[in-house]
Amino acid sequence: MVRFKSRYLLCEVCFADPRSRQCLEERAVFSAVRDAIARAHGDYGAACCAVSFTVKYLNAYTGILLLRCRKEHYRLLWSALPFIIHLESRGQRQPCRISSIHVGGTIRTCQRFLIRYNRQQLLRMLPGCQSEEERESVHRAVLSCSLKQLEEEGSSRDEDSD
Amino acid sequence: MTEKKKKKTKIWYPHTSENLFSMSGAKGKKYAKKMRNQPSSVTFPSTDFGQNSGGSSSQDRTQRGNGDPQYQWQGGVSGGFQQQRGHWSQPPGPSHQGQFRGGVRGQRGRGDWQGGQLGHRTHQGYQRHSQELPKFITASYFAQARAAEVNAMLKAVKNKNANSQVFQALPKHMRRRAMSHNIKRLPRRLQTIAKKEADKTSQQKKEVSKTKSRKARRRHGNLLLEFNRRQRKNLWLETHIWHAKRFHMVKKWGYCLGDKPTAKCYRACYRAMTKHCLLQDLSYQCCLELRGAEDDLLKALARVTSTDMGATFAAVACLSGKRQGSLVLYRADHYPQEPLGQVTFIWKPKKVPSEERQLWIWTHPTSKQDLLSELLSVCQCSEPIEPRAPIPGPATSSWKVEQKAEAELLGRKRKRNDKEGEEAVALKKIIGDGTRPPNQPVSWRSETTGIVISDLTMEILRYRLIGPLSHCVLADAFKPASDCKESDDVTEGPCPWWLKHCKDADNLSIHHRQKDTFQLLKGVGSPAEIPAGTVLGLTVDDPRLNLPNKRSQSMPDPSQLQDLQKIRQLTLSGVAAECAWSSIWDQAVRDNVTENKIPEKELNHMKSELLVPGSHLSLGPKDSRIPILLVQQPGKQTGEELSGWGSGWDVLVPKGWGMAFWIPFIYRGARAGGLQEGLKHSQNKGAAHFPHDFPDCPAGMRFAKEQENELADKFKRRPPAKRPNYIKHGSIAPFCCPWQQLAEEWEIIVKDSGEEQPAALKGRERPLSAVQGCEEDLLKSAESPSKLRLGLQLEGIEVDAGVSVTESKKACAEGIAGFRVLRSRNVLRQLSVWCRPTSGKGQRGQRLVPSFQQELTPESAVSISAANPISLVWARLTLLKKGSPALHAMISIPTAEDFEQLSKDPVYCGPQEPKHRDHFKHKIKQIKKSKKKKKSPAEETSEGSKTSSPDGGVCSDLTLGLWPEPLPSVTSHCSRVTIGFVTQGDFSLAVGCGEALGFVSLTGLLHVLSRQPADRRGLVLMRNAASLQYRFAKLRIEV
Repeated sequence: MVRFKSRYLLCEVCFADPRSRQCLEERAVFSAVRDAIARAHGDYGAACCAVSFTVKYLNAYTGILLLRCRKEHYRLLWSALPFIIHLESRGQRQPCRISSIHVGGTIRTCQRFLIRYNRQQLLRMLPGCQSEEERESVHRAVLSCSLKQLEEEGSSRDEDSD
Repeated sequence: MTEKKKKKTKIWYPHTSENLFSMSGAKGKKYAKKMRNQPSSVTFPSTDFGQNSGGSSSQDRTQRGNGDPQYQWQGGVSGGFQQQRGHWSQPPGPSHQGQFRGGVRGQRGRGDWQGGQLGHRTHQGYQRHSQELPKFITASYFAQARAAEVNAMLKAVKNKNANSQVFQALPKHMRRRAMSHNIKRLPRRLQTIAKKEADKTSQQKKEVSKTKSRKARRRHGNLLLEFNRRQRKNLWLETHIWHAKRFHMVKKWGYCLGDKPTAKCYRACYRAMTKHCLLQDLSYQCCLELRGAEDDLLKALARVTSTDMGATFAAVACLSGKRQGSLVLYRADHYPQEPLGQVTFIWKPKKVPSEERQLWIWTHPTSKQDLLSELLSVCQCSEPIEPRAPIPGPATSSWKVEQKAEAELLGRKRKRNDKEGEEAVALKKIIGDGTRPPNQPVSWRSETTGIVISDLTMEILRYRLIGPLSHCVLADAFKPASDCKESDDVTEGPCPWWLKHCKDADNLSIHHRQKDTFQLLKGVGSPAEIPAGTVLGLTVDDPRLNLPNKRSQSMPDPSQLQDLQKIRQLTLSGVAAECAWSSIWDQAVRDNVTENKIPEKELNHMKSELLVPGSHLSLGPKDSRIPILLVQQPGKQTGEELSGWGSGWDVLVPKGWGMAFWIPFIYRGARAGGLQEGLKHSQNKGAAHFPHDFPDCPAGMRFAKEQENELADKFKRRPPAKRPNYIKHGSIAPFCCPWQQLAEEWEIIVKDSGEEQPAALKGRERPLSAVQGCEEDLLKSAESPSKLRLGLQLEGIEVDAGVSVTESKKACAEGIAGFRVLRSRNVLRQLSVWCRPTSGKGQRGQRLVPSFQQELTPESAVSISAANPISLVWARLTLLKKGSPALHAMISIPTAEDFEQLSKDPVYCGPQEPKHRDHFKHKIKQIKKSKKKKKSPAEETSEGSKTSSPDGGVCSDLTLGLWPEPLPSVTSHCSRVTIGFVTQGDFSLAVGCGEALGFVSLTGLLHVLSRQPADRRGLVLMRNAASLQYRFAKLRIEV
């Protein structure tokens, strides 16, 4: 089947100041990326990437971003990402850095990667915990995102909806 | 540390999901389903400036359908909350969801969280986010956030898209043939999911219909079962199947009736009526039987009739049974008011002088219930007779039992291994009234007088043959029954009644006389030559036996010269009273005949076994003898021209023999017509058609209401630009004639004008100017009720009138007309004479005026109108020149100028109505606009449109081009004063010009007649509802 193919870039935003995470918004990200492309690749680049560029997903708490771009030009976008040094929101400039952690062909692969990545992070945190409380909470967090629990929940919800 | 509020941000960019909003229902739903499990973006709430402005917007977004992920996300996180809260020994909060909601709205959750995390912060006072956000990230917070995200993603990944099946998600190389059909072809890990899916779809799928194959359905038994089921609600006539193949069927009056043939045969049917024979199945007409002593019956029935209208039940010719009579019945002792309906009746001829009399009253099904209840009360018949008690014959009872069994059979569900074949044998065609519950009483007895009234609906069939050659068709189709010989007595023939009947010499002699008379009929030129309503009883052989091989037109045979003397006697005096006697009056005989009919199948079988194929089959003694009754239907009796047009015969046949009699008629060249043809027949004949021309009867009112709804629906179905704007045409009531209002308004007008100018009522020899002045008065006075209705509540008198109108409307709702239709013969005769011009070409009529007639003077006119207040007169209108009147055309009074122009200009058609202004158009537009405004904010939610619909109901009264209630003055709305409306109008093929039947106000008519010049008397104007052109018409009242 003929269709437009896209590339999805899974990125992580790191702020210099953790408090500025609140300014992580789709609009801010969108304009920052667009400007960065324009700066790095000029009008040509900006136009190429503008076609189907969107912020598909964004999590301010974890700083995860999912950007979509046409497959032909994702490299332009990719290469422009390191040039973003701040996000602008509500008139304030928050210094930050965006690093891409995965490039996928579908949202689904990106989601799969994100699951793996987050799990890894949690597990990596576990030995590094300093207090017992911390350890406990991380442990719980790890357990809470197990697949089994999710399935149970899912089935109960299905029953509700039916 | 941080507060945690999950909320989706607004989506800003049009290419992403702005189009979500514009997505139409099904598509949007599909999209929402697809996105149900997808995580949505999570940001901090935008409460930067201390406002909790995000709350409402987040709620808005939940309506988009993908609110679920938000939830899911929240669930995962808040699970963490609770654990933490427990850990920090915080007071327990509400449940997950409640907490979430609370958080969004009141930010209580945030306070809890903050308190828990930081310990030293209080709930209030922290409005700026920058202050709330901590500088450092703790491990637990970090872990919480990741875990929540993982959960959201897991859900998104695990739940496949809702729009595809499981196997569709498989990579191509793993796909197998027929995977969707056979779950076991899927990889084992997917089988459970696939099974679930399959169950779901099978639930959603419609129940597989249990219809059998066409072949099975068309099998005789099953077909009968289906037919019987279909006629439970609406009765079928016996010729239904025949008609259904050739006619547009309509469901009317509880029957399924043929409306008009599907073939193009408007003219052909007219030709059949005038030249040959048109056949109509009138079996839907209901027969009520009254039995009792003659005096008792007449006494009781005298209350519902009046001698004022002409002959009643007691008319000598009718009472002897020689003739059929026609009457309009009224509610008991209410004569000029509350008519019930038109009936025809036949008395059973007396054989023995002191015999119990029997009377059949034939009525239209719409008025049957009214009539029956009235007759029951008049005759004091209150005691219902159990259906089986009065019927000794086993025939009907067995039939009833069968019907019952059949009902049981129909009630049960069909099963495959049911022994259907056995029961199908027991199944029988419904003959007679199939809708009636078996235990409903059909006859009632009076204790005091012994009168028995029974409802013979569908017991006797009635076919009508219209046309000058109908007697030829009859003569060809029927063969009078051959006598029974004594030798046949040995065999138990199928006609035991005939054997018994023939044993009596009297009966035999009567039969011979009937036979002779019937044979004489062939020599008659037309049924119109025979006295109106002549009844002839007859017993005939099975008409299927002498069926011609080919359909042909039966023509009179001049070679078989008849005895001219006898024919002349027949045409002069009609049939002798004894000849009118027939066994069809006898219930037992009827049942016997119905029961012993040889089935078509057997007959065909016998025919096929004939030695010479195609030769006449003679059954001899086994042949059935069917008693029938022939009733002459008079043609056009009124008026001068075309007298006798449309005369014919009615054939009354016992039930069960419908098709056996129908086909022979068709094979003799009779053309079948439906309800429309019947209507046209009566219209050309100039006879009132029930229920169209009886607006004062309950049935007529019901009919008018139905017709109004039908016409209004039809009107509203068209786009507004493609339908006439009746307001602009000045037609107030294009769908329903406001008789009540018309009659009342004319009363007021005449009263007013009489008070103002008593001297102006000066007869006919007035100069034109005076006439003109008078017309102006008329218009002026006619306007007064209009003011009353438009301005509402002005002065005392007018308000009174208004009150009376509302009262009368109430009465209409109850089914009683406030107006009357004048049916008094004497008054109608008088009016009829007055309507004729006294000089000029139409003078011929003048000679017919009997000497006792009064001269038309204002005094006599006033006396007549005073004697008949609020009355309508049924009139017949013939257009002078061009034009064809349509339904609900207006009849108006021409002014003096119109007459002047008519006399000057020979091709003058008539005046034009100036175009009216549509005041309501503006209003409708306004309403439309306001509706639109209301709709636009409600577009997003479907509830919005629902809530606005009741408002729309209020506005729907206003339809573009129709006057809303209450109507303005009917009479003075147009430039010419209206006196009546047309109920039936068309171009008449019989006369060759437009012809209409309608009602005019009696007062209005008298008013007009007394003011018109003598040579122009009876000239009126007529205008169609959708036209501005008035046309001259000649008004005649024919008695």
